[in-house]
Amino acid sequence: MKERVFQIISDIMNWPLEKINNDSSPDDIETWDSLNQMNLVLALEEEFGLKFTDEQIVGMVNVRSIMETLESFSPVKDIEP
Amino acid sequence: MENIPFSQLQKKLSSESLSSLPFMNIAILRNVTIEPIEVYLRYLAYQIGFNARISFGVYDNIFQESAGKQGSIITKGLDYVLVFAQLETLSPNLICDFASLKKEDIEQEKLRIKNYIISVLSGIREQTNAVILWHSFELPCTPALGILDSQMADGQSEMIMELNRITRNLLQETGNAYLVDMNHPVKRLGIKEFYDKRFWHIAKSPYSLLALAEIAEEDFKFIRALKGKNKKCVVLDCDNVLWGKVIGEEGISGITLGKTYPGSIYREFQKVILNLHNKGILIALCSKNNQEDVWGVFESHPDMILKKEHISADQINWEDKATNLRRIAGHLNIGLDSLVFIDDSDFEINLIRQILPEVTVVHLPKDKAMDYKDILASCGLFDSLIFSAEDKKRGAMYKADEQRKKLVCQTTDLKSYYKSLEMVVTTNLADDFSKPRIAQLTQKTNQFNLTTKRYSEADIQEFSKSRYSDVLYLKLKDKFGDMGIVGVCIVIYKEDTAVFDTFLLSCRALGRKVEEVFLDNCLKLCRLRGAKLAIGEYFPTNKNIQVKDFFQERGFKVVEKNGTKCITSLELNNHTPDIPDFFHEIISDFNLISIKEKHK
Repeated sequence: MKERVFQIISDIMNWPLEKINNDSSPDDIETWDSLNQMNLVLALEEEFGLKFTDEQIVGMVNVRSIMETLESFSPVKDIEP
Repeated sequence: MENIPFSQLQKKLSSESLSSLPFMNIAILRNVTIEPIEVYLRYLAYQIGFNARISFGVYDNIFQESAGKQGSIITKGLDYVLVFAQLETLSPNLICDFASLKKEDIEQEKLRIKNYIISVLSGIREQTNAVILWHSFELPCTPALGILDSQMADGQSEMIMELNRITRNLLQETGNAYLVDMNHPVKRLGIKEFYDKRFWHIAKSPYSLLALAEIAEEDFKFIRALKGKNKKCVVLDCDNVLWGKVIGEEGISGITLGKTYPGSIYREFQKVILNLHNKGILIALCSKNNQEDVWGVFESHPDMILKKEHISADQINWEDKATNLRRIAGHLNIGLDSLVFIDDSDFEINLIRQILPEVTVVHLPKDKAMDYKDILASCGLFDSLIFSAEDKKRGAMYKADEQRKKLVCQTTDLKSYYKSLEMVVTTNLADDFSKPRIAQLTQKTNQFNLTTKRYSEADIQEFSKSRYSDVLYLKLKDKFGDMGIVGVCIVIYKEDTAVFDTFLLSCRALGRKVEEVFLDNCLKLCRLRGAKLAIGEYFPTNKNIQVKDFFQERGFKVVEKNGTKCITSLELNNHTPDIPDFFHEIISDFNLISIKEKHK
């Protein structure tokens, strides 16, 4: 699952895949603005067939929180690695 | 739009593919957040050969941007200005406080809005002659006064429709300006799917991704129509498109077409096609069938909506559809890019996608015939902004003429298409699992059937068990799916000869050259059984004319030929098969099992 998420972040933010890791955030990804944030959330919803709540959306502010939010969907086994 | 995920669309618009394309400059004035629509607009522009450059005006600064001050995105050189003036932001009272407003307040507000629109339009026009696409005001999800609203002459819905009428008139006065009706995409998706409340609150972005894709499509119906890129001709397959089932197999009384269920499904679809004809769109047929079978339905079936006089061109034959589409475009004297090709077959759709990319294809999903009419009616490919008396008559003007122009069929394209299918062809001796299907095929198959002998399961069982005969079947799989058993061959041994009592192929397997592989494997088995001579039989019927020379074309010599039969023979030692090289895998398990010579 992590690979799919990083790939989408790379595509949406137009940022090299190698430079994306668990600690990435708007601080080090220059193209991560609020508009791309919205695009990212929409893309993740489409990719994983999920619907985030508004609270989850505003909480997804960096890679770590995104991964935590995705992992909170149970059963996690529905999301294929 | 094809189902490409949102995150992938950007990648598809790589700089190399765009670099050679002319620019399309689009400015978007808006009072809502709508940026995610950009990638959909750019993709649709790319599909018609343009590199779209899109700029967004400052949020909720429609009026200021249109006034053309320093830094405004409204400049010379623009091709399109899209305006999203959502009523909820433009006039919150009218939407949220309607019930508390007095009549005078409402009239005053309507006037204010009218003046606003006039200012914006004239401001835009002072800067540019670009086409203006103004998105209409959306009707409320639930009117402020509920069920009372529809009973009132001056309710909220009526007021909004009046505002849209005012807008339409102002756009017409402005010229080169059009109203994009937002209520169509809303209805198509449904309110639940159209609006995304989360992002409305978080970012003032009201529309879901699906909605933005629909809105972009709606905008491009206008853009295509204005560029003359709207399509002029729809080319239709017949079986499982105009009627259910296959005319060549079922006969005129067996196809699904009627005034009641299930035939009504196809009748309603035909009405949509007829509507296109009445709008001036040309209708053509492209079908793998015998001509008499297809025209027989047109002439004799009581429930056909389409008649022969509605058809401006046709290619009903057994050749590949790419060649046929070229012929149709040639006859009608229009470009391939004016055609829309409609078919239920994955095979044909992908063939045309690959070989004739300028033709727009519409794949009608199998088993979803009830959706056909909506898919065609809402595709917007034929939309034009002019409708004249001429349009009504156009179909009659284009009658296919007698002379066929010779067109070059590019076989190299076909070969690479066949190769891309990754076909796996398997030949086997019949077993208990396959016998029912084998018997069924002998009963149902009419067209690619050399002898049209009908057998029951018990007959197949006997042929299979007997020492004097073999039953073989052909299985076909490609990258799109497994078609199962699609061919049957029954061979009867007499002394040194092997007689082909039955050789048939299901219509699904036609046009791919699998018959070459099947025949070759059957002949291999005959040799292993000790036969020296193969005998081919052909008994002509109304429906199997396409295979009358099948054996002769493959090296068999004619032994006897008259009105009722044609017998051919082949020396098995002399046989040099010509198997095409585009098959992914050819399987026959004759080498694995020990084949004994059959008792002579």
